[in-house]
Amino acid sequence: MGEVYSIGSRREVVRVRVVVGIKWVPNTQAVRFDLETGTLIRRGVPAIVNPHDLPAVELSLRLRDEVGGEVIAIAMAPPPASKGLEFVLGMGVDRAILITDRVYAGADTLATSYVLARAIQKINAEIGDVDLVVFGQETIDSSTAHIPAQVASWLELPYIYYVKEATVVGNGRVRVVRELENYLEEYELELPAVLGVAIRALKPRPVSLSMKLRTKFEKRLITWTNNDLKLDPRCTGLKGSPTIVAKTIDMPEVPRRREVFKARDAREAAKWIVAKMLADEKTRELLYRSLWGGRG
Amino acid sequence: MSSKIECDKLCPEWPCEQPEEFRNVWVIVEAEEGRLSEPSLQMLTPGRKISDKLGEKLVGVLVGYGVSHLAEEVIKYGADEVIVVDSEAFKTYYPRVYALAVVELARRYKPSVIFIAGTKRGREFAPYVANTLRAGITADCTDFDVDVNSRDVLLIRPPFAAILLAFIKTPFRRPQIGTARPNVFPVPVRDESRRGEVIFEKVKVATENKMRLVSRKEMARMEVSVEKAEVIVSGGKGVGGPEGFKILERLAELLGGTVGGSRKAVDAGWISEDRQVGQTGKSVKPILYIAVGISGTAQHMIGIREAIRVIAVNIDPEAPIFNQADYSVIGDYREVIPALIEELEILKARGPDAAKEYMEWLKTLET
Repeated sequence: MGEVYSIGSRREVVRVRVVVGIKWVPNTQAVRFDLETGTLIRRGVPAIVNPHDLPAVELSLRLRDEVGGEVIAIAMAPPPASKGLEFVLGMGVDRAILITDRVYAGADTLATSYVLARAIQKINAEIGDVDLVVFGQETIDSSTAHIPAQVASWLELPYIYYVKEATVVGNGRVRVVRELENYLEEYELELPAVLGVAIRALKPRPVSLSMKLRTKFEKRLITWTNNDLKLDPRCTGLKGSPTIVAKTIDMPEVPRRREVFKARDAREAAKWIVAKMLADEKTRELLYRSLWGGRG
Repeated sequence: MSSKIECDKLCPEWPCEQPEEFRNVWVIVEAEEGRLSEPSLQMLTPGRKISDKLGEKLVGVLVGYGVSHLAEEVIKYGADEVIVVDSEAFKTYYPRVYALAVVELARRYKPSVIFIAGTKRGREFAPYVANTLRAGITADCTDFDVDVNSRDVLLIRPPFAAILLAFIKTPFRRPQIGTARPNVFPVPVRDESRRGEVIFEKVKVATENKMRLVSRKEMARMEVSVEKAEVIVSGGKGVGGPEGFKILERLAELLGGTVGGSRKAVDAGWISEDRQVGQTGKSVKPILYIAVGISGTAQHMIGIREAIRVIAVNIDPEAPIFNQADYSVIGDYREVIPALIEELEILKARGPDAAKEYMEWLKTLET
């Protein structure tokens, strides 16, 4: 826990040190199909901060703004990811650490979470007590949602997913609201704790020019390599990954009829769709049932 | 068989275990409100397939409070054996407590495979189970297979926003853990006559003293969920606003279906998140999926792979969806969908005999 003190009023103020994890991902939305050849155009796909991490950054900043403290962003990635850390510094993150080393390359989620967890322990030991570790719920490129739970497992901390709101409640606890398929739940977790922040939980603030300038003139972005973390290379990267990608193939296409009708107007288009639904044995019965409650 | 693991080559944070020590396929079966959850029963389908291929037992693992009476059901759905932990300690679900119970059982029984349903809770506790065992985990699998030579399970999933399909193995570690989204697999056919062994176990898991459930509210359920719908009229960015979804709702109602949406439509707030179709949303399997103003990104299309027929309406002639639909029209949905509603209403009023005219009209188009 960070220091607890009161500032003249009855309200207890709790400073929080929040570590927020960021992933630098290919912008999968920018991947396009080549309509001529039916293949994927994967070259030149730009990288971005995983969009689902931004609500996590926003939640971290709000907690800090509310009670004071600092937000530290971390990313385990090759050097170009410093651009992503600069982006979140521009949002108002206080400092950022790029964790980068060749021995971290090719990591699956277990090996990634191992490096992140050890980095968080180093922050805790050298910068100060970490109260909260916050991640986006999942990434747009692989969507596993593993990292928050895996980091919690290495650090043996309580954790919760799908967080929509979080408030630090004076007594060294955080209160969160989270949503399951059919339930809205409220939990209280003792700090330190790990949170997975729901997709779209909060609207991220834009990058501000003054924050960007602050980033430029003050050295707020540092790099840690394995010289700093001193991890056993058998536990990191490809070697520290129990899962192995045996092979990848392009996603097989679902066979579809691909009939495109060039209608003169909307009426004709509608008539064609209805005609196709009637002619197609896969949809005929459905249409009969929904229109007349009988079989086709 | 797998080759022998050399302990000095492994991360010292991992236990050194030989894959041969591990046997049987586990499915973690969740129960809620006195019923077995359907997504976890669905995992018995790939579980049965893989255990048969490996020649091992399929074991259901049921952890909860007041769940013992459900064990026989798990057998009727295809398990050979069920391990039950029934304790008040599990009255309230906490991810760590639940995960550590599974971890303790896995250390005791050494299963070779663990399948977990990718419900919101499943996605929450599964990585904690895997990591605590220092085992590999593969999320959102769309299929499983066995490498016959090594006996490694192949966990097949679409990484990179569903553009690729990766075949993943965990040759050095056991158990091999995989999750799959709800409705990727069917619930197995229930067999009343199936018999199997039920084993009652106890675990020493501590209570969760670092977190507490403060309140729990049931949210209003949808009338027709997208997962169950036979017809889904789904809108994307091209719908342009929430009022457009009103038109889609009318069409869905006429066809006895429901409305869905793409990630962009949900991001824009035009439709609720529980109706999102695609990689970060639901996998659906309707008879008919009508995609309106949806461009057809890979992450969306993976959610409708099991749709029997796809109709696309899009104003952009370059939209990739046209390459991946059965019947498409290029046009403004604001005109096409109301015209389609009208056409269906006319047909409905005229009765089944009018259907012939449409078939004849189609023939005139072909000539």
